[in-house]
Amino acid sequence: MSNTLRPYLNAVRSTLTAAMCLENFASQIVEKHNVPEVEAGNSQEVLLNPLVVSRNENEQVLIESSINSVRVSIRIKQADDIERILAHQFTRFLMMRAESFIILRRVPIKGYDISFLVTNFHTEQMFKHKLVDFIIEFMEEVDKEISEMKLSLNARARIVAESYLSQFV
Amino acid sequence: MILLEPNSFVLEETLLARFTSEKPEIVDITLVDFDNVIYHVQTSAEQRTVLNLSVEMKYYDEVRAYGAEDILRREYGDYLVPTVNPQYQFTLQFNLEQLPADKAALAKHVSLIKRNVLASSFVRAFEYWESQQEGAGPLMATHYRDSEAIYVQAQHDRVTVIFSTLFKEEVDRVLGKVFLQEFVDARRQASIQNAPQVFYSSREPPLEIRHLPDLRQDESVGYVSFVLFPRHFANEEAREKTISQIQLFRDYLHYHIKCAKAYMHSRMRMRVKEFLKVINRAKPDRVTAASDKRTATGRYMRPHLRQPTSPQQGESDW
Repeated sequence: MSNTLRPYLNAVRSTLTAAMCLENFASQIVEKHNVPEVEAGNSQEVLLNPLVVSRNENEQVLIESSINSVRVSIRIKQADDIERILAHQFTRFLMMRAESFIILRRVPIKGYDISFLVTNFHTEQMFKHKLVDFIIEFMEEVDKEISEMKLSLNARARIVAESYLSQFV
Repeated sequence: MILLEPNSFVLEETLLARFTSEKPEIVDITLVDFDNVIYHVQTSAEQRTVLNLSVEMKYYDEVRAYGAEDILRREYGDYLVPTVNPQYQFTLQFNLEQLPADKAALAKHVSLIKRNVLASSFVRAFEYWESQQEGAGPLMATHYRDSEAIYVQAQHDRVTVIFSTLFKEEVDRVLGKVFLQEFVDARRQASIQNAPQVFYSSREPPLEIRHLPDLRQDESVGYVSFVLFPRHFANEEAREKTISQIQLFRDYLHYHIKCAKAYMHSRMRMRVKEFLKVINRAKPDRVTAASDKRTATGRYMRPHLRQPTSPQQGESDW
């Protein structure tokens, strides 16, 4: 299964690097306002075509780009009940701390589990290749973390059951 | 500490402190135990050397029907007194000047009071099994918590104990399912092949109790059945041990579910810290050890700390 992981991440990395060419763009609609155009969605000419990179139907990345901002939404693999609540808890945990993560969006886009919003101000203040690194590393780590938590949960359940029932013997 | 203890440790400590103290002080302490049991330790208003322990157990009337009063009288008969305050179900009274020599043992015995009272339906079921009657014994229900109950039924070759337990949150429900699935599968291991058999259903009550009127049958309730075989209660020692363990099952399960949640939280917190480190690498204006530049003679230049200086003082200009 992991032989599709590297090409998937490489595809996302190159798409993001290309999409993150952002420049400042003052709002055309309201004077003296500066909004991320991908969030406002008002001026059609500054929005680019959205792109979906998918590994399979359960794991996808949606990249919506515009002249001054990029929105990246990730759908995490959730095979069963336990993985679903683990992913849900984890992303909620992260999104509550969105302020310290700077580029994290507090609410994910519909159909996806977590979203990032990168604006031209972010790319001016931070290294672009490091931002892309962060998103790629995030995708890898989240999957690893969820499967580790699931394993530790199963081990814990086994020990709990064993110690309880061995008292009766 | 994986296993929960059947006695109330805090009650034991409190009583022991009172029993062994030099001078009898006036106390009025309220303690709680699992399953909404409240203990009230109070010095009597009339005499300072008399200590009252009142116990509030809302389901006492139910277990009284299964012989709880006989058990109470047998174990603590010397200390039982009629209850004054209607909030409490029964009261023990201790005269601090006339205690038996082994105070620690008495304190420990008293701290098992909840366990002994709740044991009444189990004791009756085991007695039914001993009497070797044909057919199933009476189905004894104890509603020891709001919306949760223990059902005990004896038959000629086994005793079935059914727990109905409530999972208030979705996360609890999923974790509970994982834990209970392990309970069901644990018998595959050779070392615990002789443990009681466990069955679990998440919404449907098991056959033995399906006819009862007030059963909950929605998403949040789970039914766990234990089948105890004669080897678990044939002799006296095994019987006592089984009763102590089986009573605490629901609290044990929920305690470990909460521990699992706490562990996941601490893992997520650690992961968040790691991610923060990665994102901070993206910022260029960081002060690291490498940005303190050094000359060959050892003088340090610190650009980030450099104050605007006059031309005469500019030794560290570069």
